Amino acid sequence: MKKKYKIKELAILGGEKLFSIPKSTSNLLQPSIEGFLGYSKTFFDQKRYTNNGPNVKLLEERLAEFHQVKYCVTFSSGFWALVLAMQALALRGKTEIIMPSLTYRRMTDMAAWLNLKPHFCEVDPETLAMKAETVIPCINENTAIILGVHPIVNCCEVEELSAVAKKNNIPILFDSVESVYESTSSGKVGRFGNAECFSLHACKLFNGFGGGYLTTNDEELALKLGSARSFGFVGVDCVGVEGGMNAKLNEMHAAMSLASLDDVENQIAKNRARYYTYKSSLSSILGIRLLEFDEEFKTGYKNIVVEILDDWPLSRDETISILNADNVLARPYYYPPLHSKPMQYDYVPANLPVTDNLAESFLNLPCGQLVSNDEIVEIVELIRFISANARAIKESLSEVEGA
Amino acid sequence: MKAINESFAICGAEAVFNETIPVGQLYFPSWERYEASMRGIFERQYYTNNGPLLTKLEDKLQEFLGVKHVICVTNGTFGLMMAAEALELSGKVVLPSFTFIASAQSLNWAGVEPVFCDVDPSTHQIAIDRLDALVDDRVTGIMGVNLWGGACDPEELEQYAKGRGLKLYFDSAHAFGCEANGKKIGGFGSLEIFSFHATKVLSATEGGCVCTNDDDLANRLRSIRPSYGGVTPTDVVKVANARMSEAQAAIALLSLEDFEVNRKNNEKLFSIYDEMLSSIPGIKLIKPAGVTLSNYQYVVCEIDEENFGMSRDSLIEVLKAENVMARRYFYPGIHNSVEYRKSLPDYADSLPITDYLCGTCIQLPIGAMVDSNSVGAICKIIDKANHNSDYLQSFLAESKR
Repeated sequence: MKKKYKIKELAILGGEKLFSIPKSTSNLLQPSIEGFLGYSKTFFDQKRYTNNGPNVKLLEERLAEFHQVKYCVTFSSGFWALVLAMQALALRGKTEIIMPSLTYRRMTDMAAWLNLKPHFCEVDPETLAMKAETVIPCINENTAIILGVHPIVNCCEVEELSAVAKKNNIPILFDSVESVYESTSSGKVGRFGNAECFSLHACKLFNGFGGGYLTTNDEELALKLGSARSFGFVGVDCVGVEGGMNAKLNEMHAAMSLASLDDVENQIAKNRARYYTYKSSLSSILGIRLLEFDEEFKTGYKNIVVEILDDWPLSRDETISILNADNVLARPYYYPPLHSKPMQYDYVPANLPVTDNLAESFLNLPCGQLVSNDEIVEIVELIRFISANARAIKESLSEVEGA
Repeated sequence: MKAINESFAICGAEAVFNETIPVGQLYFPSWERYEASMRGIFERQYYTNNGPLLTKLEDKLQEFLGVKHVICVTNGTFGLMMAAEALELSGKVVLPSFTFIASAQSLNWAGVEPVFCDVDPSTHQIAIDRLDALVDDRVTGIMGVNLWGGACDPEELEQYAKGRGLKLYFDSAHAFGCEANGKKIGGFGSLEIFSFHATKVLSATEGGCVCTNDDDLANRLRSIRPSYGGVTPTDVVKVANARMSEAQAAIALLSLEDFEVNRKNNEKLFSIYDEMLSSIPGIKLIKPAGVTLSNYQYVVCEIDEENFGMSRDSLIEVLKAENVMARRYFYPGIHNSVEYRKSLPDYADSLPITDYLCGTCIQLPIGAMVDSNSVGAICKIIDKANHNSDYLQSFLAESKR
């Protein structure tokens, strides 16, 4: 096992990098090439490369089955799945979209394509999830839609949020990009709210090169979005749905997604092993808390998030810099929070002390196929070494800076 | 009345073709080349976002098109939306209504109102002499559309836009590889957008690119796409999430290798259509206008009902029964689509040439799905339909009763 014994061996202080190849937080999972080529053969033989081809149809059936919903509609990305779903669901004449601030950095851009103003809500400091009591204060006469975004470890209380939406007659769309495999006490993710959106980006549980999909039990919505992603066509030469564009998933990406779907149990087992390696080796380090997966229901064990506690001897960002120098590409968890970023479009200004505080203390650690369990042990040992030698490291770093 | 030759599938005879013949280009690499490319991607484990194949494709396209920057995207429509964002268009933009609906939709997504211009009756390209009547204070730009493997006189449009301080860009979805006055389409105006949809001469299954010689615009476009790493960070209003994957780039690279072979094949097939249709009354093949080199990716004809003996729509019915998936194109014209009739009702009777063409144009198959023999057979069906038009007309009328 590669291990550091002296602080001079840290890459940030001139030592050799722990890993020659960067270890990333992008969860790059690769399905079987033979599986992918097998599905490719289908569209290749039919000479159908896009426009609702055989793999897209099969993928939509398979995903609907996987999420136990009636309908699935695929898109060219999760981003446009969300935009088109927001467009279809948002209440006409209303202007605001409720979303958490501690979330995906492009979320407000999606709203901006529809001229919807982001109205940011707080999240729970323990779970990092938005919840009824953080959403309710944001509801007003301008609310067009609630975007229920799951955090990257575990889920929001879906029933509770759906009930708030229902009570106020506001549609709710779940962004479940990081919760593909998860289940809740009320069942599998995919059938909650008006609809749920997922991603088929290469760094997600289902690697489809790129892509996205929506699941719903609402037939009208599914039909509408099936048209909207294809210029609004409802039949030959007939554009019947407004606000159309091209957000179709091509057949190669559908083939890749199908191969990934076939491989999911295998990938979950590997994710689980990686998570358990982190869990057992991190448990003896003080000042750092692993966000644990709720294993009462099915979970994907995909992302590794830790909280830097008060007794951790370095700041979150110092820790990240030291790790990054050694090619451990740890990243701050959703930073900066959206409400504190400059925006060139309308939004509702927000004062979110809980989010501001949380934004400084969480970080993502490397995960996915490109990180082995042995390497995880090495990463954790590096973290342990940093913690044990924090004072000396700080001094050396300030000397380097002062020199 | 009896048909001179009764063997029409629409009347119950066996269809000329066993399998349906679509209209699109649909060229695709051999399975061996496809498999080799995909295995390479799996070995590299690099799937999207400025990957090695995407970078290579952009370099090759820059060289091929003679432009400084090529930014590849998920599809041509996103290219159009990103162009409107990058150019910071506002108010209104003029474009022809005789084009695919995505051209206008891209403007709506950018918060810009489309202004529909009529087209030239012989070339089908935007009628530059009609622009003055449409350009008012709120118009900030012109979207030229290079149609049918021809061009809309980009140089004259450049002069026009410059004279009035308007931004100019081109929807060149139909024009990949074409040249106007010996200069490749792709470098005119502020930027141009190509489509690499499977139905186009260069295919990425879905795909497209934006081309520009302007460094700032290129940075903005790459930031809107967006792209992580290798890009000068540029402040943009919002991103579009329109990246091209390595799989798409792989297909586009192979398709680019095959471009000249495919273009020549199109040219040969086009010349057969030209020769065989020229002797049939009432059908006029539209030859690529305003270009010195064409990709011949579209075969579009006007049907003069009186001279041909039957309407365009009837001819389509006859061809479809023979498994030739001929179609109306464009139809019904953007200004007459449900969406725009509602939001912009004033164009109803203001575009007579567009309305005429939407009522008379037919698109016929050309590309990978046809060869010389099948083009010959398609032309013979049309010839036969012309000779038996009275019979077919009454048959169709009867069957609809």
